Amino acid sequence: MTQASTVKDVAALARLTISEHDIENVTAEFNQTLALFDALQSVDTHGVAPMVNPCTANQPLRTDNVTTLVEREELMKNAPSKEENYFLVPRVID
Amino acid sequence: MPIAFESIATLSQALKNGEVSSRQLVEQAVARIDSLNPQLNAVVCLEAEQALANADQADARRAKGEHSPLLGIPMLHKDIFCTQGMRTTCASKMLADFVPPYDATVVQKLKDAGMINLGKCNMDEFAMGSSNETSVFGACKNPWDVTRVPGGSSGGSAVAVASGMVPFATGTDTGGSIRQPAALCGITGLKPTYGRVSRYGMIAFASSMDQAGPMAHSAQDCALVLNAMAGHDPLDSTCDNTPVPNYHQTLDHPIAGLRIGVPKEFFSSHLNTEVATAIDAAICELERAGATVKEVSLPSTDLAVSTYYVIAPAEASANLSRYDGVRYGYRCEAPSDLQDLYFRSRTEGFGAEVKRRILVGTFTLSAASYDQYFMKAQQVRRLITQEYDSVLNEVDVIAGPAAPNTAFALNDTSKSITDMYMEDVFTIGANLAGLPAISLPAGLVNGLPVGLQLIGQRFGEAQLLNVAHQFQSRTDWHTRRPTLEAVR
Repeated sequence: MTQASTVKDVAALARLTISEHDIENVTAEFNQTLALFDALQSVDTHGVAPMVNPCTANQPLRTDNVTTLVEREELMKNAPSKEENYFLVPRVID
Repeated sequence: MPIAFESIATLSQALKNGEVSSRQLVEQAVARIDSLNPQLNAVVCLEAEQALANADQADARRAKGEHSPLLGIPMLHKDIFCTQGMRTTCASKMLADFVPPYDATVVQKLKDAGMINLGKCNMDEFAMGSSNETSVFGACKNPWDVTRVPGGSSGGSAVAVASGMVPFATGTDTGGSIRQPAALCGITGLKPTYGRVSRYGMIAFASSMDQAGPMAHSAQDCALVLNAMAGHDPLDSTCDNTPVPNYHQTLDHPIAGLRIGVPKEFFSSHLNTEVATAIDAAICELERAGATVKEVSLPSTDLAVSTYYVIAPAEASANLSRYDGVRYGYRCEAPSDLQDLYFRSRTEGFGAEVKRRILVGTFTLSAASYDQYFMKAQQVRRLITQEYDSVLNEVDVIAGPAAPNTAFALNDTSKSITDMYMEDVFTIGANLAGLPAISLPAGLVNGLPVGLQLIGQRFGEAQLLNVAHQFQSRTDWHTRRPTLEAVR
């Protein structure tokens, strides 16, 4: 059983905050989901290579040439805060 | 001519004969969306003026003698596909104001084929859900019964087609998100083989399983659109370069001698008995068309749910780490420092189900849990894939239900989170193994649609569409329509 404190630590790794109001419920749901995974432990996977994706051998890579698919100016239009060509964030160095 | 519920094939012929113009098709589609959408909530962005301008261009091309089958046909995109200059939200507050500076490859390909995109369809937030209830725009309603869910995550796309707004919409399927809503709304939806259709510009959920596909009334229409959607894309390194056949050309092949495998595990206690009866009857119909049917076994069917719900959230937690409030997407008000910006932007920007999956994914990828969960699930994924491959060595296609139940009630609080995850029990296997699969209308239970699922060999889309078309040539389930009495 995973404790609320562990769930909070995991949330912090994911840069998420769980309020005191929600933590009990979130922890219960978290444990409910982990219980669904218990069935995996009974499977004999000795010597089985992990399957990362279902790709076959027919995925040719393109030549690694530098290209511009989208202009910087266009990309910057979605920035929540910017100055010239830079994304603005709160000061990180005092 | 009235266009609601007409097939792409019929509309294309009418355009060719000059019986109707693309402008008229778009005008009718917009009028129908305006009339039905306030109740159904299937469409979250409508760009009528741009669509009409594009329709005029399509009409001009037709006037010059061009007659490609999709030219001038109205459609909608799931709001997971980047559309240049058109807001793309993934049904999340996180992307509420995001306007992509480029088109997804699927969007570009359908544009090149002459289709007219009217806007974007509702969906579960970041495609995480089986009911379309996790959308920031609110739930989308099933046109067969507006008190019920349309399924998800491509719920808006399914509803737009099922209610006759447009003859075709795009969907994406990571664990059943095309097939389950297609089943619950009584339309035809195909998830292609992993790598058959480009994922470039399709907002990522679980990259090793995400796949785009067509949602329409019939297999014939799905074939026409898949011809345009499929094919290698240099911008997606997982996109396969196996040649794309003409899916339309083989629809009429007889299916005498086709070997169908029916997994006994698909008829387990999870399956509603009335749905089981409808699926049995559908499989008998294929037998009458000359197919041979044998029982097969996929012993890991239930295990696939556990495997999927480790792998998909793990991949999602990595993919969604890009939403940090810095470069695009939601940013919280007045952050005190950079950490505050990250934490509050993500906590305020994501909905509950998305955060739930990020949490689980972050946990299973953490150093202490990696071997126990993520590595283990990837190993079990290989075993599940081997099971499917082994069965598909004995039979040509696997047949069974797409979903264990018909459409369930909106806001069903009796369903736990893991109950909801079990809704995907029959669809998830094809995603883990990367196989193509289709859901097609196969009956009605208490007035609600049932979907027959066919799973095929890798790159066997032509065969799936052929079998589905043969079924639809012998039955009329795909022509049944909701009355929409409660909607008007």
